Amino acid sequence: MAMPKYKKICERNGKRYFFRFSLHQRLQHVVVFSTVIVLSLTGFPLKYHDKAWAEPLLNFMGGIKVAPVLHHIAGSILLGLFVYHTIYWVYLFYSRRVLPLKKKGHLTFRNVGIAFLTQPMIPSKKDFFDLIDMFKYLLYFTNRPPRYDSMSWKEKFDYYAPYWGIPVLGPAGFFLWWRDEFSQYVPGVVLNALYIMHTDEALLAALFIFFVHWYNVHYAPEKFPLGTVFITGYLSEDDMIHEHYAEYVKVMTEQGLQDEIKPQHP
Amino acid sequence: MGKSFFKTHVVTLLAALLLCSITGAANAEDELDCLLCHKYRGLSRIDENGKFRLFYINEALFKEGPHSRVKCADCHQDIKKIPHDPAKKVDCTSECHLIEPSGQKNFSHQSVANLLAKSVHGKLNADGSPKKDEQDYPGCKDCHEEPLYRPLSFFKGRTNGVSERGLARCQTCHRTGDFAESFYKHVTSRLRKMRDPKEIVGICAKCHGDKAFQQRHKLDDVVTSYKETFHYKALRFGSQETPDCTDCHVVKGEGVHFIESKNSPTSATNIKNIPTTCRTSECHEKAGANLASFQVHVTYDKHKYPMQYYMLVFFTWLTAGVLYFFLALIFLELLRRLFPNFSFVKSKDGDHPSSE
Repeated sequence: MAMPKYKKICERNGKRYFFRFSLHQRLQHVVVFSTVIVLSLTGFPLKYHDKAWAEPLLNFMGGIKVAPVLHHIAGSILLGLFVYHTIYWVYLFYSRRVLPLKKKGHLTFRNVGIAFLTQPMIPSKKDFFDLIDMFKYLLYFTNRPPRYDSMSWKEKFDYYAPYWGIPVLGPAGFFLWWRDEFSQYVPGVVLNALYIMHTDEALLAALFIFFVHWYNVHYAPEKFPLGTVFITGYLSEDDMIHEHYAEYVKVMTEQGLQDEIKPQHP
Repeated sequence: MGKSFFKTHVVTLLAALLLCSITGAANAEDELDCLLCHKYRGLSRIDENGKFRLFYINEALFKEGPHSRVKCADCHQDIKKIPHDPAKKVDCTSECHLIEPSGQKNFSHQSVANLLAKSVHGKLNADGSPKKDEQDYPGCKDCHEEPLYRPLSFFKGRTNGVSERGLARCQTCHRTGDFAESFYKHVTSRLRKMRDPKEIVGICAKCHGDKAFQQRHKLDDVVTSYKETFHYKALRFGSQETPDCTDCHVVKGEGVHFIESKNSPTSATNIKNIPTTCRTSECHEKAGANLASFQVHVTYDKHKYPMQYYMLVFFTWLTAGVLYFFLALIFLELLRRLFPNFSFVKSKDGDHPSSE
């Protein structure tokens, strides 16, 4: 798959911006958030049917005849994206990590395992120490904030939350939708379990997005009202220093800008 | 001047004629002229038990209702003269003067009462002895609140959607009186649900939603658990397609008054019959018999529904754990911004942010 090349650092109006997300990744994010918004708006009025806001919201989304159809369409798209994302990820891992090993003749279980674990999105030992550093900083035991790599533990959590959530929620929703066909093979009491999984995991996902993810990208003072990296794919130097200092230093050094590296600031 | 005088009188005359004709029509079934008094909206008294009783009859509602062709005295059989003494409670099984066309006998609700008596809601045991807490078992009027009994709730009055064209076909032959119209209404009103399904749920909930009632009869809170299902949620938002209580608790083809306990072998909710009940032609037609093990009335009781209980506990802790952790983090982070450089421990390794 030919990927467009992105400059690590690009300059606009005398300011540096650091590459974070490719167009391909940003488009996947657009699909995720649009479908999740539609799913929430058409799903939660049913979960909280006895609340005053439930009926007007459901009617806004088309009422009891239309809203479930929208819910099924959005859910199918999101589940499709999950499958696509997983296949794409396996493809990347194979072509970028496994194939080079194969060419060199180093293809062993051990080497593939190491290649797997050293990917930037896989939780690492550094994440654990970053977490400890962060608590030290937040509890005033040091005035040195943690220095995150390209992906901080928070971002990894943010990524794996839906990556665990979609396979819990999605198939559950799918089987509740096709319950009659499904019941040819599996007892109805499974639907009871799927029902709890579907709505309770949905609540967790929605609350997490609303409070935690949106704090990170909307409510935090330096982001308010909206961080733009999800649109442009590039992060400002200030935010880069604030959020990914280790990566910042690495990229600046790689680009031969080591003399212009700015000090870390909280 | 003369012209306007004439005009005023003609209008008054017409109005008077109109009034007469309305009263005349309304009195068709009112041979004792009951409405002479009962047409007054304030007609009421406080009874021996201190309860406020309203005796107003809303004519418009009465004429739209199912009993519009029944004479007052057919139901209130103890009233022979006016003014009358306090009337007895109406017995719905008494015969009225309507002739039931198929059998040419006087009509009575006795067959419905028989069905109810046989059902789980009957007041007597099979051996004829009264059931425990007999007063909790419903009679006709506990569920059937005809608008007539609540004369002020005029907004409840719904017409049966009479199609003038359809009715005209009947009237080609059935010319006399209002037979065609009332027969037409009688049939068409039974072709669809008589009441909004939400109303049915509300009627059952009058007893089954009552905590003390549940304890007296050792019943689960089936109303709350039903309201957790998609069956109710769709009804709640105006769908007519998902089942209310009577759709699952009555065997298809059986009278709606014959609701049986799930322990009865012929009950719609007996474990052996649930697959049939779920898979009736209007519902889960394509489903496997397996669907029957879906639990509709889940109470999250630890012993009765352990799977649901522990799943609920798991998700509650997961949600609370994740959210409290991150909310605490956000709180600390915001607090940290107020004192960005403060630290209890002075850095020794020259690792101060501003030293780089």
